[in-house]
Amino acid sequence: MPNVDRRQFLKLVGAGGVGAGAGFMLAESARHPVEHLIPYPVPPEEYSAGIATWYNSVCGMCPAGCGITVRTREGRPKKIEGNPLHPVNEGRLCALGQAGLQVLYNPDRLTGPLQQLGERGSSGFVDATWRGGLDAAAERIDAARNAGNRVVFLSGGVRGHLAALLETFTRELGSGQFLQYEFAHPHALHAANRRLFGIDRLPYYDIANADYVLSFGADFLNNWLSPVNYSLGFGRSRQEGEHRGRFVQVEARMSLSGAAADEWIPARPGTEGVLALALAQQLVANAYAGDDADAWRAALQDYTPERSADITDVPVETIEHLASALVDAGHALAIGGGSAAAHTNGADTLLAVNALNYLLGNVGRRGGMVFNPDPAIGASDTEPASYRAMEQLAADARAGAISVLVVSNANPLFNLPAAADFAGAIAAIPTVISLSSFMDETTALADLVLPSHTYLESWGDDAPDPGVGFTVGAVSQPVVSPLFDTRATGDIVLELGRRLGLGEAMPWPSFEECVKDGWRQLHAAGGEAAGDFDTFWRDVLRSGVWGTDTRAESGVAVPDEVIADIAVPEPQFAGSESDYPFVLQPYLSTGFYDGRGANLPWMQELPDPMTSVVYGSWLEMNPETARELGLRDGDLARVTSGNGAVEVPVVVYPAIRPDVVAMPIGQGHAGLGRYAENRGANPIELLAPSVDTRSGALATGATRVSVAGTGRRAEAVKIGGESRELGRNIIQRTGTSGSAGHSARLNSIPIVVESS
Amino acid sequence: MRVSIVPTLKVLRPAAMIVLVALIGMVFGYYANAMLFPGTSPAQPINFSHRIHAGDYEIPCLYCHVQARNSTAAGVPSLSKCMGCHAEVATERPQIRELTAYWETGEPLRWVKVHDLPDFVHFTHKRHVAAGIECQTCHGPVETMDVVSREAPLEMGLCLECHRENEVVHGDDCWTCHK
Ligand code: SF4
Repeated sequence: MPNVDRRQFLKLVGAGGVGAGAGFMLAESARHPVEHLIPYPVPPEEYSAGIATWYNSVCGMCPAGCGITVRTREGRPKKIEGNPLHPVNEGRLCALGQAGLQVLYNPDRLTGPLQQLGERGSSGFVDATWRGGLDAAAERIDAARNAGNRVVFLSGGVRGHLAALLETFTRELGSGQFLQYEFAHPHALHAANRRLFGIDRLPYYDIANADYVLSFGADFLNNWLSPVNYSLGFGRSRQEGEHRGRFVQVEARMSLSGAAADEWIPARPGTEGVLALALAQQLVANAYAGDDADAWRAALQDYTPERSADITDVPVETIEHLASALVDAGHALAIGGGSAAAHTNGADTLLAVNALNYLLGNVGRRGGMVFNPDPAIGASDTEPASYRAMEQLAADARAGAISVLVVSNANPLFNLPAAADFAGAIAAIPTVISLSSFMDETTALADLVLPSHTYLESWGDDAPDPGVGFTVGAVSQPVVSPLFDTRATGDIVLELGRRLGLGEAMPWPSFEECVKDGWRQLHAAGGEAAGDFDTFWRDVLRSGVWGTDTRAESGVAVPDEVIADIAVPEPQFAGSESDYPFVLQPYLSTGFYDGRGANLPWMQELPDPMTSVVYGSWLEMNPETARELGLRDGDLARVTSGNGAVEVPVVVYPAIRPDVVAMPIGQGHAGLGRYAENRGANPIELLAPSVDTRSGALATGATRVSVAGTGRRAEAVKIGGESRELGRNIIQRTGTSGSAGHSARLNSIPIVVESS
Repeated sequence: MRVSIVPTLKVLRPAAMIVLVALIGMVFGYYANAMLFPGTSPAQPINFSHRIHAGDYEIPCLYCHVQARNSTAAGVPSLSKCMGCHAEVATERPQIRELTAYWETGEPLRWVKVHDLPDFVHFTHKRHVAAGIECQTCHGPVETMDVVSREAPLEMGLCLECHRENEVVHGDDCWTCHK
């Protein structure tokens, strides 16, 4: 035993004490945290602890309207899946649909009414009550109505009975106006169908039964119109037919769909319609035998392969082999939209594509395009507002013609080009009320915020558009009781209606009753055979969807004067080629759609399927272009149009024409919460206010830009390693057509190998 | 030149002693905590007695813990279930008065969990009840307890031992419980 003096002894006592304390705390920290068991005082009927309840409803994340089934436990939604009974998506769901939970549980949701006490756009929002908020809103609307001033209800795309209710509300107001603004609404496709076939509905594309699909710019496997439905059909066309269906994509920048194609044809942007007409001419010359063949022949005589090849930059041989493939196919189908329609001649391009369908004899046929019947519920006459209509709205506002603007589920400040100066328009409107669930860019400028439920907390119904070729109705029901002090949009409008004395036209005590009432009428139309309503309603709620497959073949005719008139005018681009050498193609991103998904962390983390970039924005350019500009992957470039400039990193992308650069839409938010703000850039800001002449839709691909390096680097965050094959022989080519596999085309594009 | 570490050790000895004593203290402190505050029978908001209900009156476990048969969770009875009897029975007892107060204000009871498994364990009552395992196997003789206390350690060894003894199919696969 060593000598222990007094000092040493004290030290040892101290050490022992500290050690014991540490041990005690260690044991404390290893303890299970105290958990509670909190039974309901009175449990809800369908509830059992630990057992999941599934509710069928409708996805509210994009206009496709897929059916969802939500798994809830202890009253909380845990997972969203596709509803197998819904004919649009048959149990499948896209990534954005999955992320709906993060809308519901988003920490940036507005938790109750707010009132702006300070300057507009300042942080002077204070909490308000529903009673006070609704009173104030009704008072402003009432004053405007009495003075004969306009009250505008601007909503995102809505369907079903909510659309009908909003329409009734604004109509009954007398001086009301109902506008829907949906950034990606296919105005050009509507215009083309209207003109060619006299039908103002979107068709159902029977891709499953087509064995040759020729798509002009439509990124239908990613987010064009009804992507889940198209992906299902595409899978069937590839795998379930007698032989593997072929698929050819025409577009200036390879989209996700382009990457799945057998052949990718980078036509000059805006000339896709000319290619379609060249093919049409070949069809008429070689195969078409209809009564109106002469009319077509006369109308298409200018579109010879040679001339079209010049215009489109697609070789004559390609045009010829496409034409013969179309003739040889059993069920060939042409689809047009997306980037091909994003030009000043958008509707004409789609008209040309549909003419091709007509000449192929597949309109109204199996494996072709089938027009959808009118929606069974909530038929609305209000066509979504085109860019032209929004410009008109802004002009009216600036002229002082609008007293109250109610914005619901729309974010025009983000989705309109800076050139539209919507902020300036809003500044001229005395009262702005927002019903948004989030503090987005537009809501930040409101005087009063009456936040609405998310779609997972509300009642509603839907008739999907584009549908599936027969009448479908779907009901969306709340899958969770409201998390915050918010209300359903429908209920807010009903409340306002009551305060404004519109109770007679809108007699329902709640929006749930309004929906139910609508379905009662639908049920009554079925007559005796439909049984009693309560059973019917229970069944509809259980399955989430209603309708029977009555798809039938039908024909259409095209008037001679329309045939005679067919032509695709030259696209107009804003900006001169010398100052702005590149055509900018902004495209809807997979995760964010038109920007609405940017506040969802799952979507921020979702790698872009083509470049594997996560988080920020980027500019895609051809390696050749990059070399000419002296730019490398990850260099920060300044993209300038006649209307603005943004700085984004370059991603060298081999599958894009050298005269085109592309940017994803969705980032660059100044609002919408912590996950969306101050990340990347918004290409919509750069766009010139050019429109498609026939439909008035914003021509998103009609702006030229210049690109210059900034000398700085800002590499985009990519999860993928090397995107090139580098001789590893990863892409195995199959089939016999050595001439035109897209990998062959890709390999022929010179690629800069950086030596560092 | 000879190098010796002995002088260094001599200097270090007092320091080593301190470390040693601190370590002994630590072990002592750890077990002292576990022994003094085992946390196996926490205080509950109401002094509910399983001995009276399950023991004296022989109410079957599944009468109140209804979901054990068909759910992962056994379920704690709702207030409405308690009041089903206690609107009439023993209404004058102080604990029942407390219970009635909860019922009348509609405020939920916050029981403290006695048998808790970590979140990374997937345990389901349904399977175990279906296999005919007595509740007491894991929960102890609850029918004799006035205050429920955790008797079994509820650690992985316990699960595995039982799974092996009963030759449960895939009973010792990791993914059976950790999924
Ligand atoms: S396509 Fe649209 S509606 Fe369908 S799941 Fe995706 S986000 Fe929802």
